[in-house]
Amino acid sequence: MLVTSQLRVGSIFKVGKDVLVVQRMLGQKGGRNGMVTKMRVKNLLTGGTSDLGLDSGEKFDEVDLDLHNMKLSYIDGDTYVFLDQTSFEQYELAKDDLGDNAQYLTPEDDFDVEITFYEGKPVGVVLPIAIDRTITYCEPGIKGDTSGKSTKPATLDSGYVVQVPLFCDIGTKIKLDTRDGSFAERVK
Amino acid sequence: MTIDILCKVVDNFGDIGVVYRLARALSELDDAPALRIIVDDLKAFSAVCPEVDTRRPVQTVRGWTVLPWSGDSGILASFGAIYEIDPARIVIEAFACGRPEWLEAMLFDPADGATKTIINLEYLTAEPYADEFHLMPSLTRSPLVKKYIFMPGFTRSTGGLILDGPFIEALARGADIAGRHQRRIDSARSLGIAVDHAMEQNFWIVVFGYERDYARIVADIAEFGRQRPVVVIAAAGKSQPCLKTAWELAGRPFPLEVPPFVEQQTWDALLVAADFSIVRGEDSLSRAALAGRPFLWHAYPQDGTYQLVKVRALLDLMAPYFEARHFAPLRDAFIAFNDRPADGQHVVGTESILPVLRSASSLQTGFERWSHDLLSLGTMAAHLMTCIHKIV
Repeated sequence: MLVTSQLRVGSIFKVGKDVLVVQRMLGQKGGRNGMVTKMRVKNLLTGGTSDLGLDSGEKFDEVDLDLHNMKLSYIDGDTYVFLDQTSFEQYELAKDDLGDNAQYLTPEDDFDVEITFYEGKPVGVVLPIAIDRTITYCEPGIKGDTSGKSTKPATLDSGYVVQVPLFCDIGTKIKLDTRDGSFAERVK
Repeated sequence: MTIDILCKVVDNFGDIGVVYRLARALSELDDAPALRIIVDDLKAFSAVCPEVDTRRPVQTVRGWTVLPWSGDSGILASFGAIYEIDPARIVIEAFACGRPEWLEAMLFDPADGATKTIINLEYLTAEPYADEFHLMPSLTRSPLVKKYIFMPGFTRSTGGLILDGPFIEALARGADIAGRHQRRIDSARSLGIAVDHAMEQNFWIVVFGYERDYARIVADIAEFGRQRPVVVIAAAGKSQPCLKTAWELAGRPFPLEVPPFVEQQTWDALLVAADFSIVRGEDSLSRAALAGRPFLWHAYPQDGTYQLVKVRALLDLMAPYFEARHFAPLRDAFIAFNDRPADGQHVVGTESILPVLRSASSLQTGFERWSHDLLSLGTMAAHLMTCIHKIV
């Protein structure tokens, strides 16, 4: 069984006969007993999507999936083309099917991702929990800044904009937490 | 219609207190549902509802069936017949408490083809996400067990606040000064506090917070007491010993009453009758806001001082009802009082409530306006039933 807290973008689970893939994590809110995670899921059977709020303690049936390690080969418009590192076959996924993960990837990445296959078709991608990205633009952090802010927006080499600590600069390598698209730490 | 309400007691009496009030409010409706309350702590339940017998895991209280969260096979078998006659179809999970194993098995029994509905009654918050998450569809592992999020709240886009008959009556009785003074006498006497005519006229302060060093609060009350006589009632709970210690160290500068546990109706009457309150948690916050009397909220501390996010959200909701010059010291006090990573008897803050006490009569107007709007939202019980009728 998968619990809600284990679900990430690309996770696939079953509700009865419906097979659902998590496309986007839309925020977590909650009180003392646990979080409610809002996520967008796609029904692989109907193609329909819906936004749902899942309690942290709910459990779901897992789906028998094939997982293949691949690298992002190139992006053609809204189509992401992945290359199987073993068979060298190419598989395409629409940007929508990658969900939030589309913002975190570039064809220059040297890390593998897992493409999930359901009934022989690629249906999603699961990234490593943390990946390295480089800041391509941000405002310089000013010494003696008394504005009270502790973070600033930074554009990454994938185009994604993330809040980073003030000490980060253009060229700084960071670890990005792909579970929620947040800054994890500076790469040492 | 029968509704099962689930409750696991986590924080003192807040969780079971809300469930108890909700059960009372639901039972007062014209189309009142039958209720089964499944709770894991009968002792906590009996503190808020004295009719509960802590020795009996299965009992009927106020027409509600009270059942245990867990128990040996004998106890569980003793109420199995209840569910054979009237299966669980609508379940309210209080604060994402989860479900006991025996109920989980019933709800997800593959042999039962009926649809069930679970409503996750979330914690009260003023944060904007309450509007967004209210009535949001959720999921369980079965398409036959539907689930929805229900957000209590302070806006028309949420489920509102619990309003039950006795509280509405307390509000009506305390609507004028004479009524408030009478409520003071009645409440104090029920707590064993002797009240004379002079004391009745004093500035009444009720304190029900978490543990901290209350030296600053005591000093401010003492200073205020030099211009207007005060009476301070330290309600039983975490703050009571801490407040008493600070008061004794300060040389007992004002009358302090230290009653035993205050049952809910008396607590409601005190909130309505007080001139100023310090309240903690979500249940008392809800009552204090509806009471329309000045108060300071002590929010439950969370990781990364996240409680300040909740406090600021509440202040943003309140601000439009007040004049800025009066609201500023109230805002400062709210934030300073809640700026701590954890609770403890030695936790010291930078709060100052003296300006708040001195402008209590001006703040009163703002609290009354806000209360008036909150009362116009209707009752959470009615909203909950409307939601259930739509879904089921």
